[in-house]
Amino acid sequence: MDKKKILYIIFFSIIIGFTYNYLNPNGIPLIREERKLDFAEDDTVNLDSSFTFQNIPDTLSNKNELSEKDYNKEKDSLINQSTKSKSFTTEPFTKPLAIKIDKAYQLYKQGVKFIDARMPEEYAEGHIKGAINIPFDGDESYRNILKSFNKDEILVTYCSGTECDLSILLGDELFEKGFKRVYIFFGGWNDWVERNYPISKGNE
Amino acid sequence: MKKIFSNEYFLFIARIVIAFVFIYAGAEKISDPKSFSQAIYNYRLFPSEIINLFAITIPWLELISGILLLFGICVKENSAIIGTLLLLFIVLIVISLIRGLDINCGCFGKASPIGWKKIGENLLMLILCLALVAFGSNKFSLTTRK
Repeated sequence: MDKKKILYIIFFSIIIGFTYNYLNPNGIPLIREERKLDFAEDDTVNLDSSFTFQNIPDTLSNKNELSEKDYNKEKDSLINQSTKSKSFTTEPFTKPLAIKIDKAYQLYKQGVKFIDARMPEEYAEGHIKGAINIPFDGDESYRNILKSFNKDEILVTYCSGTECDLSILLGDELFEKGFKRVYIFFGGWNDWVERNYPISKGNE
Repeated sequence: MKKIFSNEYFLFIARIVIAFVFIYAGAEKISDPKSFSQAIYNYRLFPSEIINLFAITIPWLELISGILLLFGICVKENSAIIGTLLLLFIVLIVISLIRGLDINCGCFGKASPIGWKKIGENLLMLILCLALVAFGSNKFSLTTRK
């Protein structure tokens, strides 16, 4: 074994790696940038309070797929109407905004879609009632459901707690895909359970 | 035991298997450097300043060593490089398992969580690498004409 050859191979790999990364439009910066979370201002989260969608997750789970779609459409248009009436909520975000448990619950009561970014097994063990599972590390097929969503719709991503970053990653991904009002529920599942807010188990 | 490990067909197959695994792993990471950077970050063992330096270079080291191994060029040297990488990966995964981290291993793209199975796979490949370092393999190689 020739140690010199090993050094050559490593050296050339490093050179090629940096050159490729420099030329690659999807290249990454040499020093990793920390993702800083910006929390939403109080007033941007408040939707028109006259429009609340109580118990929507309950009724949703009882409906079949077709009517659920119609129902969502109807709900979307209602939400759009309600948000259009308030100028501050129609302003697109410059990036996904983080929210804490109180605001998350407020949005939940308004029937906003929650997206669980954890793995399907964790989702099955328990999740926020009515939440949709799109595991960030999971199969692309989970993302098909996004096509049926309106890009103006408000989405809230969450994962297990404050330590996880799946919700942030998924939030950024959704934002890049064109969803302009993405909230990241900082605190996630742990905070939700602590407050005894509605949950469900299995694949509902 | 030595007879099996020094068998030229065994060594040839080991070489091809490891070559393809690393070509695939390297190419996959090169195609999505952001995810790989995130995967390294998730191990929570390295300062964020150096993570991207690894994310940029390691996949190319895997890919190039894999290709050279496939064509039988510098087999012992490349096996040593890949063996070292495997050893490093095993150590990282063991540390993360002990710390109870539930993360993606970043081995072959998304959806491959860390676990004892992963360590088993890596150990197996490490043994093959050691055999290649010890005995080499020049069957159907570009550099030696037989």
